[in-house]
Amino acid sequence: MAALDVCGEWLISTCDKKLIAVHTKQSREPFVFDCSTAEAKPKCTESDKSDVGGSEETSSDRILAVAVSTSGKRVALTDDTKRLVLFQCEPSWQVISTRWVVRRGTSLVFTKDENEVWMADKSGDVYSFSVVEPQKTGDLKLGHLSMLLSMTLTPDSKYVITADRDEKIRVSHLKSPYNIQAFCLGHLEFVSSLLVPPGHPHWLLSGSGDGTVKLWEYESGRRVQTWDLKQLRDMPNSENEKKSAVSRIAGSPCGRHVAVQCERLPSVQLFAVDQEGEAHLVPSSRLTLSHCPLDLTFDPEGRLWVLLDSREMPFLMYTHTGGSWTPNSVSPELKRVTEALRPHWDALQISAGLESRFQHLYKVSFDNMASYRQKKQERLQQQNEHWDKKRGPGNVQQSNGASKKAKGDKPVAQASK
Amino acid sequence: MSVLMPQKRYYRQRAHSNPMADHTFEYPVCPEDMDWSQLYPEFYVDQTLAKGPVQVEFADIGCGYGGLLVELSPLFPNQLILGLEIRVKVSDYVQDRIRSLRAAETGGYQNIACLRSNAMKYLPNFFSKGQGLVYTNTDVEEVHLWMVKHFSEHPLFTQVPDAELVDDIIINRLGTCTEEGKKVQRTGGKNYLAVFRRVEDQN
Repeated sequence: MAALDVCGEWLISTCDKKLIAVHTKQSREPFVFDCSTAEAKPKCTESDKSDVGGSEETSSDRILAVAVSTSGKRVALTDDTKRLVLFQCEPSWQVISTRWVVRRGTSLVFTKDENEVWMADKSGDVYSFSVVEPQKTGDLKLGHLSMLLSMTLTPDSKYVITADRDEKIRVSHLKSPYNIQAFCLGHLEFVSSLLVPPGHPHWLLSGSGDGTVKLWEYESGRRVQTWDLKQLRDMPNSENEKKSAVSRIAGSPCGRHVAVQCERLPSVQLFAVDQEGEAHLVPSSRLTLSHCPLDLTFDPEGRLWVLLDSREMPFLMYTHTGGSWTPNSVSPELKRVTEALRPHWDALQISAGLESRFQHLYKVSFDNMASYRQKKQERLQQQNEHWDKKRGPGNVQQSNGASKKAKGDKPVAQASK
Repeated sequence: MSVLMPQKRYYRQRAHSNPMADHTFEYPVCPEDMDWSQLYPEFYVDQTLAKGPVQVEFADIGCGYGGLLVELSPLFPNQLILGLEIRVKVSDYVQDRIRSLRAAETGGYQNIACLRSNAMKYLPNFFSKGQGLVYTNTDVEEVHLWMVKHFSEHPLFTQVPDAELVDDIIINRLGTCTEEGKKVQRTGGKNYLAVFRRVEDQN
């Protein structure tokens, strides 16, 4: 897993086991948090009841999800070792608390008031953790019956939106999550990415393993638009192209641009948001990159930052000028963050960030019915042959009217053995 | 050609099937995409049968061998009833049973159908949000108490008191018309019934 997030004036790059925050405006010492050297789980007897030989459980310390609070004052991460770490960023970086979660997390998000951070996990549950009381254990909020892959809270703090492996997007009331407002149904594979785009508080953008991005009015569950990213790529041998899940959808602060990343493809698809007329999202340009992007994000000034799997040039920065997206390689900010990141950015990490997060989530289709139907067909054929032999021509097939009164166990005509 | 009633012995399957496993089910992408005409052909051919827009109003979750569906069908002739069953053989039995009942001289049973599906996961794919009643029935007291506890604790459900259920025609049949129900009667077990109503969120 790799992630790129903006946190106030810091740019946070997360890859493999490390979180690295570099300052964009000043030459401040980067903050590095390495999960492999983080606090180990205390050997506690009670909570390990379900964890047979808990200390022997293989966990890799890999970071699974990161979140930044709206003000940029708090950051949270969760890793493969089931830690939930809370940080403060100002005036200096510091770990506030390390808590332990029951199951591995997949998505983290802070509430708007920053009093809680919510976590969605692999078993389908959502827990809320207090930020104000940083040691308090989590509170179960809602659950799906399938692994959760993405979660977001609406800007009016009215709803929590969760997306799972069973193609479902569920919109639930934040204060009473047992109350489901709507489902947004339409994806044909797991839903891997969600975003309520800035400036459009009633819209939801979703990305899926089916390679599409959909636009919804989430309160009613109404599907407004679908974009097939494979078609936009217009590849000559599109049938041979492996399925590529949408791994990130980002929105510019002005509300006019959306960037979409599909995993393991060296490109970024950009859309312009058009509020007049019918077409809400219009594809505007596609950026072709030298490497596959690990993640991308917009900064408060509306610039698009891309994190690459490159040691020499981990960051790309694009600005929207004259109607198109142009790379800026001379920006002092870009230089500053690149210099600051390089010493901490090693090859082992990067390759871990490139691994597909989603390939194993495609369901393997096993047809339970086929073999059953075949056996049944054979059985019926045998029965028919047997009866034909017994009764000869002119046989009268018993009607089953009488059997309605019977318990329904046997038909009137018995196959004798 | 009349269709023979299926023989249960060819459709036996053990009672437990793991709902968390990835069985392959067919389900519509969303309720609007569901083609009910495949299951209830007569209701969609002849619109005069329906009083309003046709929709499934009863769902039997875990319908087993279809006893309840068959019992309720003549009681609610203008309403559609759907049985959901996860087991391969058992759902096939119900489908064969309904097919043969419909083909019989006396006909009827056009308003019941059975689908093989995992209700836990896919109910939202078939049905839009609804109000209504949940009927629960079991012969195992602990299960009954568990269901009552969870439904009562759920802010969106409230238990319907027995006094209000006196005239309910479904209640009287719940314990007697299914295969499980009959087994309980034979062994002298007890039926535990509980009904819940969906209510508005108080928050």
